[in-house]
Amino acid sequence: MTFQNTEKLFTLAIAREIEANDFYDKAAKTSANASVRAIFAELAGDELSHMELLERLRADPTLPMKMHKPAVDYKVAEEVELPALSIDMKPADAVALAMKTEQRAMAFYTDMAAQCADAELKRIFLNLADMEAGHKCRLEAVFVDIGFPETF
Amino acid sequence: MKITINGTECAATTGANVLQTARDNGLYIPSLCYYPRSGTAGKCRACVAEVDGMRGLQTTCTTLVTEGMNVRTDTAKAVAAQKLVIDLQLSAGEHDCLSCQKNGDCELQTAAHFLGIKKPSYLMDSVRREGERDRDTSSESIIFDASKCVKCGRCVDACNKVVMHEVLGFGQRGHDVHVIFDDGLPMGESSCVRCGECVQVCPTGALIPQAAEGVARSWELKKTRTICVYCGVGCNIDVVTKGNKILYGLGSQENWQDLPNQGSLCVKGRFGLDFVNSPDRLTTPLIRKDGQLVEASWEEAMAAAAAGLQKVLDKDGAGAIGCLSSAKCSNEENYAMMRFARGVLKTNNIDHCARLCHASTVAGLAATLGSGAMTNSMQEAIKSDVILITGSNTTWNHPVFGGMIKKAVKENGVKLIVVDPREIDLAKVADIHIRQKGGSDVAWLMAMQKIIVDNGWHNQAFIDTRCEGWDAYYQSLQAYTPEVVTEITGIAEADLYAMAKLYATGGRASIYFSMGITQSTHGVDNVKAISNLALITGNLGIEGGGINPLRGQSNVQGACDMGALPNVFSGYQSVGEVRVREKYAKAWGIDAASMDPENGLPVTLMIDQAGEQIKALYIMGENPMMADPNLRHAKEQLQKLDFIVVQDIFLTETAQLADVVLPAASFAEKLGTFVNTERRVQIGRPVIDPLPGARQDYDIIADLATRFGAVNFPATPLDLFNEMRMVTPSYRGMTYARLDKVGLRWPCPTEDHPGTPILHKERFTRGLGLLSPLDYRPAMELPCTDYPLLLSTGRLLEHYHTGSMSRRSYTLNTMVPDGEVEIHPDDAAKLGIDHGAMVHVETRRGKVKTRANVTTRVDKGALFMAFHFAEASANQLTNDALDPIAKIPEFKVCAARLEAIV
Repeated sequence: MTFQNTEKLFTLAIAREIEANDFYDKAAKTSANASVRAIFAELAGDELSHMELLERLRADPTLPMKMHKPAVDYKVAEEVELPALSIDMKPADAVALAMKTEQRAMAFYTDMAAQCADAELKRIFLNLADMEAGHKCRLEAVFVDIGFPETF
Repeated sequence: MKITINGTECAATTGANVLQTARDNGLYIPSLCYYPRSGTAGKCRACVAEVDGMRGLQTTCTTLVTEGMNVRTDTAKAVAAQKLVIDLQLSAGEHDCLSCQKNGDCELQTAAHFLGIKKPSYLMDSVRREGERDRDTSSESIIFDASKCVKCGRCVDACNKVVMHEVLGFGQRGHDVHVIFDDGLPMGESSCVRCGECVQVCPTGALIPQAAEGVARSWELKKTRTICVYCGVGCNIDVVTKGNKILYGLGSQENWQDLPNQGSLCVKGRFGLDFVNSPDRLTTPLIRKDGQLVEASWEEAMAAAAAGLQKVLDKDGAGAIGCLSSAKCSNEENYAMMRFARGVLKTNNIDHCARLCHASTVAGLAATLGSGAMTNSMQEAIKSDVILITGSNTTWNHPVFGGMIKKAVKENGVKLIVVDPREIDLAKVADIHIRQKGGSDVAWLMAMQKIIVDNGWHNQAFIDTRCEGWDAYYQSLQAYTPEVVTEITGIAEADLYAMAKLYATGGRASIYFSMGITQSTHGVDNVKAISNLALITGNLGIEGGGINPLRGQSNVQGACDMGALPNVFSGYQSVGEVRVREKYAKAWGIDAASMDPENGLPVTLMIDQAGEQIKALYIMGENPMMADPNLRHAKEQLQKLDFIVVQDIFLTETAQLADVVLPAASFAEKLGTFVNTERRVQIGRPVIDPLPGARQDYDIIADLATRFGAVNFPATPLDLFNEMRMVTPSYRGMTYARLDKVGLRWPCPTEDHPGTPILHKERFTRGLGLLSPLDYRPAMELPCTDYPLLLSTGRLLEHYHTGSMSRRSYTLNTMVPDGEVEIHPDDAAKLGIDHGAMVHVETRRGKVKTRANVTTRVDKGALFMAFHFAEASANQLTNDALDPIAKIPEFKVCAARLEAIV
């Protein structure tokens, strides 16, 4: 898969954000746990804001694009299995699901950058990968906070 | 930054002094009074130097580095001054190096050697100061020889500014100045708690450990770093040994700022490790024959252990066997025991003494937050604005941390609230000390919350965004009016108001608690009430805040983490989940379908079910015959069992009932990881070889497993750790190499992850924090006409748990050789009991004979006993009623009576 221009690239990225927003929106409506609903609703909102950012960049290619790349990558998402979406999932599973989604998005853009011959497009792909890495990093911090409870 | 010392360019850190910078760069400057942990001193003036741009000689210990600074300690002027100081110190004391215990490890000797001083230049008429004592050997553990003292003040600073005991000081002035204890008492008669910090910091032979004198020269001693076996602070100790014998401990100095104990130790860690070399150590297996325990070979004993368990397994099934794991053993050994129970015997009947100390903490916090672990760390106490301590006699039970709290209060202005029926040491430095009636904790905690809410001191934004259950909770608060609560708790309304206001409005507030809260038939409610308090004030997820249960044993957190519990595998993964069982079955090479899918029995129910469901117990390092409540009942129950195997380092009261006794290696003889109260996983290292005849716990378990047909059961600490971390997500990122320096706090899910000091920063595990409506319930047994006093139990500073270790330490058992019962003077007078008189303490469950300690430390109507002493065991008396959820017994409250023995 290759891209000939930035508009197509941003359109793809925006479609992925819309897809993610839709997924989290539906997940928020289906969960039985109020906390999980709140997490998914928040994530859906996050995806909307990502979409808006990408739309601005698509509309005006002259805007500077420099996504913040987190200083560290603890690779927590990589260690966690993708939990299935279910009505009775726990808050940690909801965060894990989102974290895995961001990890996959980061990997997708990184792969695209690797396949891209055009330097400018490569830069944009890597920026998008950095953006997803930032989301992944934030969700990993939340996951570590709540994903390893002591209960007996 | 860079500075230059004697022509050598040195890396320096802003804020560091020149002397420390020189040491960090491998350069020597003579000095006596500077010690990193007690801070700059500037007293001895042995470290003087010429510094470009500064007039005269500068003390390098008080001179801070600046970029480009040029320091010369080797000029004629500087060296002459250094020589004068050291020469005068040599002249003023009886520094007979040949006979001095410190020979070869003395900072005065080193300085003299460096400066080329062969002998003292000055003759002094007498080195004895007015009022100064002769060589003071009155302490069990420390010798003070004033004639070797250089008056550097390090011991005084350490006692007053580091460990905060405030015993040592300087007496007299000028020529006569000398170190004194209290107001000039012999050390052994003073209020010194024998923590030995003074010994550790002394630069000369003035303060030395008794255990070393005449035993070994400094070059014959070996220091090995490990983790203390007493309490849950997790102190890093450099254990000093000669050959295979432990002499004493030193607080580890490498990376001391980042260690849980920050270089300090208590009396148990310093002078209480000699139990390891006790002649009472088991070194030969024992088998019961004709009613007697007789010596046997390891092969005979292992065969008997396997046969006995197999017989029960064949006749009554796996559910008839219970395994008691140990909070004194390593993670690796607890994991091995868990693996043996679940993967070999196929039973979930495994538990350990966490059931008796913090089961209610975990049940309570799991319900309100989703996780029962300590939320913050001990090092954060100094970053709190307010600390509330309840149900924890911290300076006795977690002594080094108790000192840190004192330091936070006295030197950092942290406000301290202590709620404890006894006037514990921390009460003396507290801003508020409240003595509540025993068992009334839900009432005062909820009353505090009502006052906070009524006055609008609660954190509405935190409640709105991070909590749920407000309406029912708010309704339940209404019952806790001052009138009602004062009646229940004995706390005046003004006191309730004062502590509510201070906690809620004083800034970042943390709560530390221990078994005064948890060991109750309403222990879970107590913990939920604490959780409510932190939630409504928003004191969770922040540095310096949190809910911090102080764990009592060196690896009670780890034993829980490793799944030595009836309902979870390691990392608290439920035995009821198929995918979890499948994961472990795959790792262990067994059929998942053969594993028990139902929760096992907790230890309290194993004892109750002895002779019925439970027919055999395999006990590692636990002593229920001292630790359980209502010991007569416990003994009757254990005697109903068909078979008991005990592996331990001593022939404990429980081992004496066993059919097979297996001698185990002590903590000092093993490699393995231990988890302190703040979730910090650290490496314990062998400091001596196992005593001949004793075997490692993990080795014994692997041998037993093999006799049951297990294949490739891991038999080394590293193999066990590596297998464990691969099935335990919260530990997956840990390796021995990563744990080496200062440990890691779980969760640490990947090898890139730095560990997690603070939990619940953004969310709670359960999503929103649950505010719990609570009804006050009194303790199961309160004073009455027949038993008019309220008995509580606990630990002493000098002893530990069932006494099996501490009572075999020379220092500890000499300091406190017997138990006693604390009684208020008014009650003693009514009963005609004098201080020190022998008395009978009696409850509905038993009667013991002990000595009366008439003291206002306890309130009127209250008694206190420690449970370390087998000859007058407090747990003969305690109530075995259980919290309905956590199954933790009510050790802390029962009705008792006292009578003088005439």
